[in-house]
Amino acid sequence: MNKENMIQKALTDTVLTRRSFLKWSAALGGTAALAGGMNLGLKTVEAAAQTAAETDGKWVTVACWHNCGGRCLLKAHVVDGVVTRVKSDDTHPDSPNFPVQRACVRGRSQRMQVFGADRLKYPMKRKNWAPGGGKKELRGKDEWVRISWDEALDIFATETKRILDEHGNKSIYATSYGDAFGALYYDPISRIFSVLGGNVGAWGTVSWGAWPAPSIHMMGGFPSTNDRLDLQNSKLIVLWGANPAWSRQGNTTSFYMEAKRAGARIICVDPMYSATAKTLADEWIPCRPGTDTALLLAIAYHMIENNLQDQTFLDTYAVGFDRDHMPEGADPKENFKDYVLGKYDGTPKTPEWASEICGTHPSVIRSLSQQMATTKPAAFISSYAPARTNRGEQYAQAFFTVGWMTGNVGIPGGVVTWDPLPGGPPLVKLGPRGTSYKDNPVFPSKYLFPFPDPADETWTGLNWSEQWDAILNGEYTAGVRGKQPIDIRMIYHGHSAMLNQSPSLNKGIEAHRKVEFVVSASQFLTTNSKYADLVFPVTTYWERVGDLISANRESIFWWQQASQPLFEAKSDLEISLALAEKMGIDIEMIPFEQVIFNQVAGAEVIKPDGSGFEKLVTITADDIKEWGVEGEPQKGRISLKEFQEKGVYQVERKPGDRFTHIQLKAFRDDPVANPVGTPSGKLQIHSANLAGHIAAFGWDKIAPIAKYEPPVEGYEGTLDGEYPLQLWTPHYLRRSHSVFDNVTWLREAFPQEVWMNPIDAEARGIEQGDTIKITTKHGTALRHVKVDAGIMPGTIATGEGAWADRDDDTGIDMAGATNSLCGPVPTGQGVQGWNTTNAQVEKWTGKPIGADYKQPQRIIFGEEA
Amino acid sequence: MAKQKAFYFDASACIGCKACQIACKDKHDLPLGVRWRRVFEYGGGSWVEQNGVKVPSSLFSSYLSTACQHCESPVCRDVCPVQAITKREDGIVILDSEKCIGCRYCEWACPYSAPQFNEETKAMTKCHFCYDLQAQGLNPACVDACVMRCLDYGELDELRAKYGDLNEIEPLPTNEITNPALVITPHKHSQKSGEGTGRILNLEEEV
Repeated sequence: MNKENMIQKALTDTVLTRRSFLKWSAALGGTAALAGGMNLGLKTVEAAAQTAAETDGKWVTVACWHNCGGRCLLKAHVVDGVVTRVKSDDTHPDSPNFPVQRACVRGRSQRMQVFGADRLKYPMKRKNWAPGGGKKELRGKDEWVRISWDEALDIFATETKRILDEHGNKSIYATSYGDAFGALYYDPISRIFSVLGGNVGAWGTVSWGAWPAPSIHMMGGFPSTNDRLDLQNSKLIVLWGANPAWSRQGNTTSFYMEAKRAGARIICVDPMYSATAKTLADEWIPCRPGTDTALLLAIAYHMIENNLQDQTFLDTYAVGFDRDHMPEGADPKENFKDYVLGKYDGTPKTPEWASEICGTHPSVIRSLSQQMATTKPAAFISSYAPARTNRGEQYAQAFFTVGWMTGNVGIPGGVVTWDPLPGGPPLVKLGPRGTSYKDNPVFPSKYLFPFPDPADETWTGLNWSEQWDAILNGEYTAGVRGKQPIDIRMIYHGHSAMLNQSPSLNKGIEAHRKVEFVVSASQFLTTNSKYADLVFPVTTYWERVGDLISANRESIFWWQQASQPLFEAKSDLEISLALAEKMGIDIEMIPFEQVIFNQVAGAEVIKPDGSGFEKLVTITADDIKEWGVEGEPQKGRISLKEFQEKGVYQVERKPGDRFTHIQLKAFRDDPVANPVGTPSGKLQIHSANLAGHIAAFGWDKIAPIAKYEPPVEGYEGTLDGEYPLQLWTPHYLRRSHSVFDNVTWLREAFPQEVWMNPIDAEARGIEQGDTIKITTKHGTALRHVKVDAGIMPGTIATGEGAWADRDDDTGIDMAGATNSLCGPVPTGQGVQGWNTTNAQVEKWTGKPIGADYKQPQRIIFGEEA
Repeated sequence: MAKQKAFYFDASACIGCKACQIACKDKHDLPLGVRWRRVFEYGGGSWVEQNGVKVPSSLFSSYLSTACQHCESPVCRDVCPVQAITKREDGIVILDSEKCIGCRYCEWACPYSAPQFNEETKAMTKCHFCYDLQAQGLNPACVDACVMRCLDYGELDELRAKYGDLNEIEPLPTNEITNPALVITPHKHSQKSGEGTGRILNLEEEV
């Protein structure tokens, strides 16, 4: 085997051995490549690899940029353009009060993603594509043809212009978020559409579930969780549907461990005996997905029955709890207390009533209620997940209400909140980027997340739970305008995983095969790109000039470039500029060095006495000259070079310091001087505005107080027998949403397994490791089963985000992508109810599936000589 | 007592996240199928009906991160027909893959499955405690990777003085064969090796 063949083999190997990726990295990022400025071919391999071996290399802080719920420091060991290893933060000694920003399992595998053999190498088009779409039914199974960047840009420009001319701006659907400079989660390519008059946008509450609207109307805004050190003041912490060990990786779970060590009792309410519960919980309380509201109402019932609620707190700080404290204009009969007692509907919400719905034993409900009401101070911390359910608003209403009944608001160790990530205002912050962009006139960016104003009659956007139906049926729900016509001809995906990550993949595929033109920009053949006509290969952050990010309230990071762009990949910023040039349009642009410099120069850190902020970075005239940017010298705490080399600035913390944060403390201290932003200035257990807001979206209605009404595909949906199980879809350590699903090390560590209780398995003759078929109203998937008593009987779960692998002949998804199974059910404020899906499982009698990590990678083109 | 480097593992704090396993793979560029450090989940229990409601009964589960124990009496060394495995003065057990003939006898003999076969090179490999990092005054990769700070290392006698002398919990084998250089703080659910009532739950150990 000659050298080039050897590398060719290495490139197409499922496993990137040290040899193969070293050589590959060397080929693409070695000295010669750096000197040449762009991606060189294999001829430089040997020279670069030899140089690499002789050089010591250096550690640089690199991006770990994913939407994972954490933000940690990652360093790459770069030996002459070759990344040989990663490590995490070692910039100061680690201690519980002043922890290093330690990276998780996914960050630790980052170089296997960046240098994966399955990176997209060249622009490409579908073989049977033609202007107008060609054989559209072949999307997802056609062959790929390598094309030049010039041809790729030309196809985009020509087809986009044609579609715009023939069908107008409202025929283009872009699933990404537009932004000028590609900050995280935003896509500079889609700004092309904004300049050309705009595009239909995608909106949904997505991760947050139903929390936003209840937060706005019941407490005047989004709650923050108390400071991480304040958790140590709590005597009781209830983690509700919250599994930070999976969903908030990095240091977060260790903060709870410190609280436990400081004496907090921890209770986890969850359908699964989660990793968090196993490690932290003194008590695990199982509750069926989508039924948490019933459990909360029964907790309230026990409190009311025994007069355990903090009545003084409720009377002073809240409205809507009882008939004597109603907001202005509300029907006194519509108070929470009488609803719980069943005064008007004849149904007292007793633990026995709730138990039949939520599956929690009545005595456990009473015990939980007693502990919640009497242990003070206590922290009630939900995750987003229980609200990622159909009719999830009622859960948010109930969680706030029951939390507030205990009076744990605005006091040390007391909080009612929906994020297990500890919070507080930043102690160190970056300067503004100094960029601007033209907003999308058809669907303004402020409406992308979590939702548009349903009363505003000017926007055109599709909800994540309705988009594919809208494309297929030509109609979407437009808030108070009701159903409106829509005619989508082009789908553009960038900085998005929409097809894989939104409900009903099967309808999504159908919608993709209907339109005239599908374009996707990505790093791998993701589900979006698989069903596209034209694919742009995009660089990762490791191949870009660097950037800064706020990691958490105590830390900011500065990332550096680790590698030259691989093959012909370009950053989405470069692609947007190339497209603009091709299309003859002007887009705003300032040099990226200036964007970085602005953030550094404007960075501020809190003064030691907490009295305000001061400049963080000292900048000299020489620095400005060296950077070639506009700016003024300034004095700060650390030099620009020190910050750049270290890659992190972190504020040191101590228990009892001045920097703690307690949610709603000012309100608690003086509710008259510091009212919350609700009509009453108080916490609104009853909110007519909330009910009105939800109704305006046009799908369903909720009461102004927390009531339990069975959600679509909730527990009650299992009772008729066809789909007797409840499927829910947690975040899983293998991925950050869909990102990392292709990383073989993570596939090896975390199979895409389905968790099933032994009772349900036995009833179906299923044993651990069997291949099972999961069927819902929306689709079918095959997976291996993990039979585990740690999941509640009657429920099954599998991690969200696996890359769909649908067999077109059978319609079965072989990968276990949750959106092959979850339905598009638009409810409330446009929530994606991923944790309410009815399912059935049977043992698969066909060929068993193989281990995930042994599946072939999606390698389209090898390296051409 | 002779010098003996040892790992410490706090089972009460491990969340089973496998950052240690991946950090190890990254440090040593281990191919698929080779995991010098592994994380197990061990548990059991069932559900019973109480007044018509299914409730968990004696449910238990916890995680275990384990690598080579650098045993005081390493059977892998004892059985190797070509003396590819040796114990250093500091107690670290190392394997010379160049000398290895790939007979896999050590893999069979080690009760911890620490020596692992590299299909590509047809030779055994195993955790060498990142002795290269230790020589530079740095910690083993797995220790520095733990987000819960439940891995540590040091001299065995010092670790025992600090954390006690427990070195056998399920699903590890009992300590009598090899005298593992390991110190464990148990989880509340940990069971003594040989007396376990649960099973390894991980699917990845099966398929």
